[in-house]
Amino acid sequence: MKKFGNFNIAALVIGFSFLYIPIILLILFSFNESRLVTVWGGFSTKWYGELMHNQGIKDAAWVTIKVAFISSTVATLLGTIAGIVMTRFGNFRGRTLFSGMIYAPMVMPEVIIGLSTLLMFVSLAIDRGVLTVTLAHITFSMCYVAVIIQSRMSSYDDSITEAALDLGCTPFRTFMLITFPIILPAIVSGWLLAFTLSLDDLVIASFTSGPGSTTLPIKIYSMVRLGVTPEINAVSTILVGLVTVGVVTASLIGKRQKQQLAQS
Amino acid sequence: MTETTTTEPWLDSNQKPYIQIVNATKKFGNFTAIDNLSLDIYKNEFFSLLGPSGCGKTTLLRMLAGFERFTEGRVLVDGEDISEIPPHLRPINMMFQSYALFPHLTVEKNIAFGLQQDKLPDNIINQRVEEMLELVELTDFAKRKPRQLSGGQSQRVALARSLAKQPKLLLLDEPLGALDKRLREQTQFELMDIQEKLEVTFVIVTHDQEEAMTVSSRIGVMDSGKLIQVATPTQIYEAPINREVADFIGDVNIFKGIYKGQDEKGTQLLSEDSKSIIYATQKVDVPVGNRIWFALRPEKLEISKKLPEVDCNILKGKIEDIGYGGSFSTYHVKLENGRQLTAIRANRERTAEHHLTWGDEVYLHWVPHSAVVLLS
Amino acid sequence: MNIKEIQVPSFLRRAFNGRNAIISIPYLWLLFLFLFPFIIVLKISLAQPVIAMPPYTDLLKWGESWWPTIQASLDSYLFLFSDSLYIHAYLSSLKIAIISTILTLIIGYSIAYSVARAPTRWRGILLMLVILPFWTSFLIRVYAWIGILKTEGLLNLALTTIGIIDKPLIIMNTDLAVYIGIVYSYLPFMILPLYANLEKMDMSLLEAAADLGCRPLKTFWTVTIPLSLPGILAGCFLVFIPVMGEFVIPDLLGGSQTLMIGKVLWGEFFYNRDWPVASAVAIILLAILVVPIMFYQKSQEKAIS
Repeated sequence: MKKFGNFNIAALVIGFSFLYIPIILLILFSFNESRLVTVWGGFSTKWYGELMHNQGIKDAAWVTIKVAFISSTVATLLGTIAGIVMTRFGNFRGRTLFSGMIYAPMVMPEVIIGLSTLLMFVSLAIDRGVLTVTLAHITFSMCYVAVIIQSRMSSYDDSITEAALDLGCTPFRTFMLITFPIILPAIVSGWLLAFTLSLDDLVIASFTSGPGSTTLPIKIYSMVRLGVTPEINAVSTILVGLVTVGVVTASLIGKRQKQQLAQS
Repeated sequence: MTETTTTEPWLDSNQKPYIQIVNATKKFGNFTAIDNLSLDIYKNEFFSLLGPSGCGKTTLLRMLAGFERFTEGRVLVDGEDISEIPPHLRPINMMFQSYALFPHLTVEKNIAFGLQQDKLPDNIINQRVEEMLELVELTDFAKRKPRQLSGGQSQRVALARSLAKQPKLLLLDEPLGALDKRLREQTQFELMDIQEKLEVTFVIVTHDQEEAMTVSSRIGVMDSGKLIQVATPTQIYEAPINREVADFIGDVNIFKGIYKGQDEKGTQLLSEDSKSIIYATQKVDVPVGNRIWFALRPEKLEISKKLPEVDCNILKGKIEDIGYGGSFSTYHVKLENGRQLTAIRANRERTAEHHLTWGDEVYLHWVPHSAVVLLS
Repeated sequence: MNIKEIQVPSFLRRAFNGRNAIISIPYLWLLFLFLFPFIIVLKISLAQPVIAMPPYTDLLKWGESWWPTIQASLDSYLFLFSDSLYIHAYLSSLKIAIISTILTLIIGYSIAYSVARAPTRWRGILLMLVILPFWTSFLIRVYAWIGILKTEGLLNLALTTIGIIDKPLIIMNTDLAVYIGIVYSYLPFMILPLYANLEKMDMSLLEAAADLGCRPLKTFWTVTIPLSLPGILAGCFLVFIPVMGEFVIPDLLGGSQTLMIGKVLWGEFFYNRDWPVASAVAIILLAILVVPIMFYQKSQEKAIS
């Protein structure tokens, strides 16, 4: 009854402008010849060239990718188990606490998570470094994975697993042959989300990292505090570009899968 | 199926039951889903569990399949206790209400799935899959994915998949529930043919009494986790043991009243509706003065404008409502005391010679033989 | 399939243990790396700061006796309540979180509603455009605003060029900049649950309301809004709770007078190195947030099952 009217168009145009203009400007000024952010000095890719010579940024990028890769992989494993436990294991002792520990990290202020995780490492005399950042990242990103898996698991009929058992398949083989292929797209998007969460995190990494484990966000943050520079714009543009390509590809794959299934 | 089962094994004390459910109880917390239920099912039976939703019929089926554990009691198949055997090791297969086809596997891979679990050689698997596809007439659809199938085709794949392993017992949970009426009626006969051809024992759960009547050798009517009556479809329909069964299976008119004894016309009931004595041939063994009931199927009530030339079982009323059903019409007749009865009459004449219409004064009548006496 | 070969009790025992073993993997991980750290924080908040590494006293002191003496001190908490800075920071965080949640809800609802009402073939791409910023770095998105909001930044440049203003606006390093940053950064968190809810809404309900003589705006208030309440709640929790402890936005966009508790905690920990006070700040923030977090958990569990 309510048609797509002028109000809706205005809301979308203004809303998306608000969401995208800052990012577009950021990308635009990464190609600015001039060092001044407000003066357009002509097109140039020289800031990208300078990045290549910035050893600090290159080191931080390497640490970040390592941490993101390992933490997202472990988080996907743990989160998948947690998501299955939440949907298919019925009631068990301490279920409420378990689900609390899954949902709380997603809204909990990062300063609290960062501080508490760090204090635990200190009290156990574990040195801060790549390991501690990775452990902290696994812990909060596994919760996101668990929720993605949980919603996929609860959207398909459990009698499919029962049917496999009924046809003589052992519980483990049932998981490998039936459950895993069905939830695979959710596992992949869970991994992607965990990867970008780790890639983006500043606060928790600041608490839990030590010398030698400076991640890219920490590096960018320390540069930002000194002011806006085209170099930061260039790093940011690369990150935004990577994430965009990843997300768009993932969603295209998902869309094609859906279409293949829908076509008769 | 009653006709094709030449012998009725449940009447023969020498026959050994194939499936024995012994004192089965299932509790979910404080809720008792199955209450100390015992049941024997014989080889090659087509047994229906019939009841309203929530009566425990699906729980009982899932206990047989092994998805629910027995709180108490056990189940024997061919004399072996299988109560503690996990589902994937039971010689029983199940056809799920939702069909539960594996969405990522083709039709033939779905059917082959159970055989592959037994690690059979490929040529045997392929041969069996082909047979099954032929049986359900889906050979051309072997390479399709479940999403590319219609409801009826999915149903047949599910059936083929559950039969591929030649189970000792096939459980079917509302197998036709998702199909439209026409397809359902057609598929009922297909199911019966397949069951006969493969000689597999079927236990089917349904809430559709017509379906149960059509396909079953015997029906178990369930309510609140208990079996109320186990009998052939004819017996269940013609001789229900109480008002609940009578009411659940088809339409029924119930007459409430006081038992007044027997005479040459049969059992006398002082009806609360007509305040007169009405008769049923069936004899009862209760003290005079007890409360009893007569159950009368609508098609056994004759309806006419003329006073019937009989000496008993005549009630007078007025037509309130007519439901035209094509081959028959349903009449709602209001008695003088306000009670409404249902009568069904076949529409034999096309013309309106015997035409009955709204507001007509009519007589309802039945022969004493068609009424069933119920004690509860 | 020989039934006799199966040893029943052993299978059951294995299944039972296998099940618990699977549950215990993520369970123990979260217990150890998520819950246990809070106990440590609580412990340290009761300790006294010392100049050492780690810079706090031990809660348990092992003396001559067999039993340790407990040296709990509430000094950190007393300190928080004696210095008005902390109370102001909590209240100011609360104020900023509430106002920005409301702002985000209004803007987010308009966008989510419009996306949900857009023609079906557009919806996919529009939703994608909402999700994309959600995946891109928080830090980068906040940073992008610095160049715009600065006194000599792009916004002032644009406005003076057009001639709307002749003196540059001072937005950077004020609360206004913080609000802009929060609304911008958290908008996708608001839109996604709202959209999920609005998209599922049965349009025939709105038609029924119109059919019964309800005017469009009234239908919106009496049908659409109440039905989308679960989405509104989820979105508000997703914004309000993390904003209460937000650090990056007030630090980069806010000024020295912008007080937020996340920034205070960061300062206590990294600059003052007073770990017991930082822990006490965290514990009290947690105490404030525990009820909303539990509500959020309940609502999410209901939404999924």
